[in-house]
Amino acid sequence: MAEQCDKDLAKVSDADAIVLDNVSKVFGDRHAVDGLSLALPQGAFLSIFGPNGAGKTTLLRMLATLSRPTEGTISVLGIDLKEHPDEVREHIGLISHNSMLYADLSAEQNLMLTARLYGIADPRERVDQMLDAVELSHRRLDVVRTFSRGMTQRLSIARAMLHDPEVVFLDEPYSGLDPHAVEIFDQLIDQVRQNRTFVMVSHDLSKGFAACTHALVMARGRKVAFEGKDNIDFEAFASLYRDTVGMGVA
Amino acid sequence: MAKDLDKKLAVGQGLDRYASAVGLIGALLSTLGFILAFVLAAPVNGASVDGVEMIGGQMVSNQLLFSQKIFYFHMPAAVTSMVALAFTAWFGIRFLTTRDARYDLRAKLATEIALLFIIMTMFSGEMWERFEWGVWWTWEPRLTTYFILMLLVFAYFILRTAVDEPERRATYASVFGIITFIDVPICFMITRLIPSSVHPVVFRTDSGLSPDMLVPLLLSMFGMFCIAFALYRLRLRTETMAQEVDAIKREIDE
Amino acid sequence: MNKPSTFQQYVTLLRKDLQREFRTKDMLSSMGIYALLVLVVYGAALSQTARQFDVLQMSGGLLWALIVFTSLLGLNRSFSHEKENGCLEGIMLVPLDRSVVFLAKATSNLLFLLVVEVVVLPLFYFFFLTTTQPASTWPMLLLPLLVGTIGIAGIGTLLSTITVNTRGKDVLLAVLFIPLVYPLLYACVSATTVVVAGGDIEGVYLNALLLAAGYDVIMVLLSWVLYDFVVSA
Repeated sequence: MAEQCDKDLAKVSDADAIVLDNVSKVFGDRHAVDGLSLALPQGAFLSIFGPNGAGKTTLLRMLATLSRPTEGTISVLGIDLKEHPDEVREHIGLISHNSMLYADLSAEQNLMLTARLYGIADPRERVDQMLDAVELSHRRLDVVRTFSRGMTQRLSIARAMLHDPEVVFLDEPYSGLDPHAVEIFDQLIDQVRQNRTFVMVSHDLSKGFAACTHALVMARGRKVAFEGKDNIDFEAFASLYRDTVGMGVA
Repeated sequence: MAKDLDKKLAVGQGLDRYASAVGLIGALLSTLGFILAFVLAAPVNGASVDGVEMIGGQMVSNQLLFSQKIFYFHMPAAVTSMVALAFTAWFGIRFLTTRDARYDLRAKLATEIALLFIIMTMFSGEMWERFEWGVWWTWEPRLTTYFILMLLVFAYFILRTAVDEPERRATYASVFGIITFIDVPICFMITRLIPSSVHPVVFRTDSGLSPDMLVPLLLSMFGMFCIAFALYRLRLRTETMAQEVDAIKREIDE
Repeated sequence: MNKPSTFQQYVTLLRKDLQREFRTKDMLSSMGIYALLVLVVYGAALSQTARQFDVLQMSGGLLWALIVFTSLLGLNRSFSHEKENGCLEGIMLVPLDRSVVFLAKATSNLLFLLVVEVVVLPLFYFFFLTTTQPASTWPMLLLPLLVGTIGIAGIGTLLSTITVNTRGKDVLLAVLFIPLVYPLLYACVSATTVVVAGGDIEGVYLNALLLAAGYDVIMVLLSWVLYDFVVSA
C-alpha cells in the first residue's frame, strides 16, 4: 500500500495538485458555486477571498469531500474526487476554526483515535512525534477541555497533520485566536509547509495575502479573479477586493 | 440526462392542463358514490356487525346501521392518504438518488395531501366511533396505528421547519418520509394481524361486501384519487410559480 | 498507511465513546438519575390506588414508559459532544464507510441503555412489585427487554443524528422518535406484561416477540442504509 502511495505521488508529482473543471454546487435555483474552473500547481498556497455567501466555504467543503459537487469534476492529486472520495481522503487534511477534538478526551487519546482511524503504522510513535512538534508533550494526559484556545488550535494542527496529508485545507483558522496564538499558528504552518499544497479561506485580507502564492477572488459563486501572487500588487488587489465585497453585500 | 429530467419534471403542460377537470370529475364521482351509498347499498348488513355483538351497552345482531354510510367516505379517504404517503416515500428515494430539489418539493406536497386526507379520515372515523361504539376514543389497533401515522405526518412538517439549510432539510425530510412509510403497511395489515379488530378486512377474495356496496365504495375511492391528484398538481404549480417569483426577486436585488 | 479494516475502525470508534463515558460518566449518571426520578413520580401517581389494585397488569407498561423516556434523554446527549467541536466532521474526513459510524454509535447507545436497565430493573421491582408475586415466568422478560432496546438504539441513533442539527433538538427527537417506536413499544409491553402477570404465554409472548424482532430488523436495516445520507448532509 505504501509503495502504491509513492507510485501515485510520483505519477502526479509534476501535475497540478488540484484541478477544478466547471464545478457547480446547485440546490434548487440557488448556485452556491457556479461553473468554477482552475488549476493549482503542487506546492502552491491558495487563498480564497470573497464576501459572505460568495461560496468560499462551499468550495472548501467540496474540496475536503464533505459535500458533493452537483456538476463538474474535481481532481485532487490526479484522483477524481467524485469517483474515489475515500482515496482523496487519504491525502487531505483540514484545519478549521472548529478543533474537531473531543473536549472530554485527553490530547493523547484524541490523536490515537485519529491515528487508528487512518490506520497509521505504529500510531504511538507518530502521536509522540506530533505532540513534540506542537510542544504539547507535557500536557498529553490532560483533557482537551482544560486547554487554552491556542493550545487547542495547536493540537488540532497535530491532528490534521497526523496522516501526513499532501494537501491541507484551512477554514478560517484565525477566528477566535489572540495575536500571540496567531503568531505561533503561522510558525507552525511554516514548519509543516514544506512541499505541501495549501488552500485557505480567511476573512483576514492581509494575512491571507501574505501567506499565499495564488489568490482566488469569488463573488456569488463565480470566479472574479485567479492570479499568481507575482502578478498582483497588494494595493490594486485590495481595491478590487473592496469592489467585489461591496458588490456582494448590496 | 439532465434534459430528460427537466422534461419529466416540467410543470404547466399535459398533466396540469387537465388537473382542474380531473378534480371536478373526482368530486362528481365521489359525490355519486355517496349518493349511491344511500340509495343503492342496502342499509342493513352493516360491515361492522358480524353475528351478535355488544354495541353501546346492548346486544346487537341485526341493527340498521345508518351511520355505517360514513364508511363510503371514511375508507376511501384513508386509502388515499396512504397512497399519498407512498408517493412521499417514492419522491424521497428519488431525491436521495438525484439530489434534485424538485423531488423534495413533490415529496412535501404529497405529504400535505396525505395530511388533508388523514384529517378527513380521522374526522369521519371520530363520528362513526361516537355513534356506533358510544365512546370518543379507544386504543383499538387500527385506530391507534392510524393515529400514529397522523403524528408521523405532523412530525414530518415539524422537522421541515426546524432545519434552515435547504439541502439538509430536504435530505432529512426524505429520510424521515421513507421511514414513516413503514407504518403504512403496518396500519394496513393490522386488521389481518389482530383479527379481533372492529375494522373489517375489506380487501380479500371472499370479501363480505356485496356488489351494491362495492360499487359506491369503488366510485368514491376513485373519485378521491382524482381529487388528490388534481390538488397535488395545482399545489405543485403554485409552489413552482412562487419559487420562480422568488428567483426573480433575488435577481432584482442583485 | 495500511488501511485498517472496517471492523478495526468500528472498534476504534466504539472505544472512543466508552473512553469518553468512562471519563465523564455523563450519559450513565444523567440517565440513571432521570430513571430514578421517573420511579418517584410513579410512586406519587400510584399512591392513591386501591389496595387490591393489581400492579402486575400495569408493570410492563410502566417499565417500558420508563425505558422510552430515559433513552430519549440518553439519545439526545449521544451526539451533542460529536457536534461540540465539529468532531463528527473530523470523522467524515477519514476514509471510512459511513455505516461504521452508525454501527459504532448504535452499539455504544445500546450498551449504555442496557447498563441503565440493569440498574433500574431491580429498583423497579423493589419499589413496586415486592408486595405482589410476579408469575414464575418473569425471567423471560429479559428477551423483550433486549429486543426492544436494540430497536430503540438503532432508530434512535439515526434520529438523533438528524435532530442534533436542528433547532429545538430536544423536543424534536421526542416528536420523531415516539411515534416511530410505537409498534415496537406496543409489542414489547405485551410480551413483558404476559410473562410478569401470567397468561397465554405461547400465543401472546411469541407473537409479540416476533413482531418486535421484525420491526428491529426492518428499522435497523433501513437506518443503516439511510445513515450515509443523514450524516453527510
